Amino acid sequence: MAPGRPLFEAAGLRKSYRLGAVTIDALRGVDLTVDSGEFVVVAGPSGCGKTTLFNLLGALDAPDSGSLLFEGDDLGRLSSSERTLFLRRKVGFVFQSFNLIPVLTAYENVEYPLWIDGLGAPERQRRTKDALASVGLAGRMHQRPDQLSGGERQRVALARGLVHDPRVILADEPTANLDSGTGAEIVELLARTNRERGTTFLIATHDAAIIEKSPRRVRLLDGRVVEDGGGR
Amino acid sequence: MKFAVIALRNLARNRRRTLLSLLIIAAGTIVALLTSGFIRFSFFGLREAIIHGGLGHLEVAPAKDVEAGGASPERSGIPGLEGWGDLRGRIEAAPHVLGAGAVVQFTGMISKGDRSAAVLAVGVEPDRERLMRFELRLRGGSNLPDAPPDEGDDAVLLGATLARQLGAEPGDLLTLLGLTADGALNALDLRVAGLFTTGLQDVDSRIIKVHLASAQRLLGTQNATSLIVGLDDTARTDESRAAIEGLLAGREPSLAVVDWRTRAPFYGQVVSLYLGIFWFLGSVIFVLVCLSTSNTLMMSVMERIREIGTLLSIGTSRAQVAAIILLEALWLGLLGALSGDLLGIVLVSVINALGIQMPPPPGATSGIELHLAAAPVDFAAAVGMMLVILGLAAAVPVGISMRLRIADALRHV
Repeated sequence: MAPGRPLFEAAGLRKSYRLGAVTIDALRGVDLTVDSGEFVVVAGPSGCGKTTLFNLLGALDAPDSGSLLFEGDDLGRLSSSERTLFLRRKVGFVFQSFNLIPVLTAYENVEYPLWIDGLGAPERQRRTKDALASVGLAGRMHQRPDQLSGGERQRVALARGLVHDPRVILADEPTANLDSGTGAEIVELLARTNRERGTTFLIATHDAAIIEKSPRRVRLLDGRVVEDGGGR
Repeated sequence: MKFAVIALRNLARNRRRTLLSLLIIAAGTIVALLTSGFIRFSFFGLREAIIHGGLGHLEVAPAKDVEAGGASPERSGIPGLEGWGDLRGRIEAAPHVLGAGAVVQFTGMISKGDRSAAVLAVGVEPDRERLMRFELRLRGGSNLPDAPPDEGDDAVLLGATLARQLGAEPGDLLTLLGLTADGALNALDLRVAGLFTTGLQDVDSRIIKVHLASAQRLLGTQNATSLIVGLDDTARTDESRAAIEGLLAGREPSLAVVDWRTRAPFYGQVVSLYLGIFWFLGSVIFVLVCLSTSNTLMMSVMERIREIGTLLSIGTSRAQVAAIILLEALWLGLLGALSGDLLGIVLVSVINALGIQMPPPPGATSGIELHLAAAPVDFAAAVGMMLVILGLAAAVPVGISMRLRIADALRHV
């Protein structure tokens, strides 16, 4: 990465979907810049384009038009193998529904990204245990997802997102399926990880508690950024 | 290794569906094993019955007779093999040769009272036939004596159907007419020693056996039509043929060595027919197992679209996702086929122990006991076949996973 270069530079991002005979313009020209180490909340009502924006930022989807650079590289021009490596090394995801692999234990879920990236067993073991310990699950590592509570599952998902030391964590509604107390714990965990490890966080949420605590709030409405406050 | 474990655990998620798939695969494996066991035993039984019924493994005959008469066992010209005694000694010294018996084949007319029939006569050496482990299926009376009969003591074995047509029984006196080497008509009185069957009705209605010495006496020659060679193992046929050809090299007039396959085209026809049936049945099993397991795998993948999206979003390549699905299919194939092998062994043992009698095949004179061969190669091949089928069955689900858009997959409900 060039010194001083933003982590993400999005300009004029547009994305539309066809839903039956109807075309939905999910993003209508989004401009957004995110620096390394920031903690950014993307807020807005359902259908405003938060998830679509996160899919583009995470290279899970490609924009119809506009440019999206990650550390200066155009995410829209990644080949299939480059995209896989980007997902393996540069980004971590935390999903609303946790999206853990049900046949793997908590330990195996967290270890998985390291294993597919070819890390040796001793290094995998060390980092997996550290990641689980950092989210407070050192004692539950051999449970399968269906044996864990919602909060524990989201902690495992966060540990999986962090274990390979990505440049950014994209968390889409990470507290939506949790009660308020557990949600608050998760938010605190995200904020602490941001402070301690310097990992960049982008969080899409409706949760007022998260929005209030965030140093930078980006508000989306009808596929456009209507507010970008604090932080920068 | 880890993908294999994930694939196996995925199969355990819906145990009822997996069990049903395993049953289908096991059933397909069992059908294939029973069919191949039956066919393999039939091939073996037919082959050994042909060889030990009198054809032998190899025949050594004058090359000109083989060229003129083809490889047919019913060659019936003037016996042209001279000096066969010395030749027999050399052949019997070769490895894997149990014995070599001289035969004289000719056509003639046999009569009892006012009843006559055209026959194919074979002059044989009973002691050599025993040495070569030939089986004589007697249906009455006894075998020909080992020692060459004196003039006036000649005996004959009649095909069972021929005996019925002539109204002949053991002890009856018959007259056999044949052409001598000079072209003159000669006659020989023969006492019926016994009745026998070759297993084929058509042959039983026209075959007789006499002692070699009786045949030579009737035809007025010391020659033989050929030497029939019996081996200790049918699998040694090609090797022994080459060895005997080596012994005969440079001999004038030249001799030809013909193997049992060439002399029994009927065997080749039966093999082709049975293999055709086997491949047809195999294709039906192939299609049925492939379609039903493909459907199972497809359901399993469609239920896990969002999970596949997650795998892709955390850096799993599409090839790795395809590998997980393919491994699930191969696990199913392996476990189903091994279960089928196990059940197949039990079924084969039970069927063989029951001694079920099958009706005579067309043209045959007696029924056979249902017996299934259990060849290890068939059990291994069944596993291989199921792995191939399941590999193909996985093609569509793998194709779906390869085309998935990650964002769409993550939205999938």
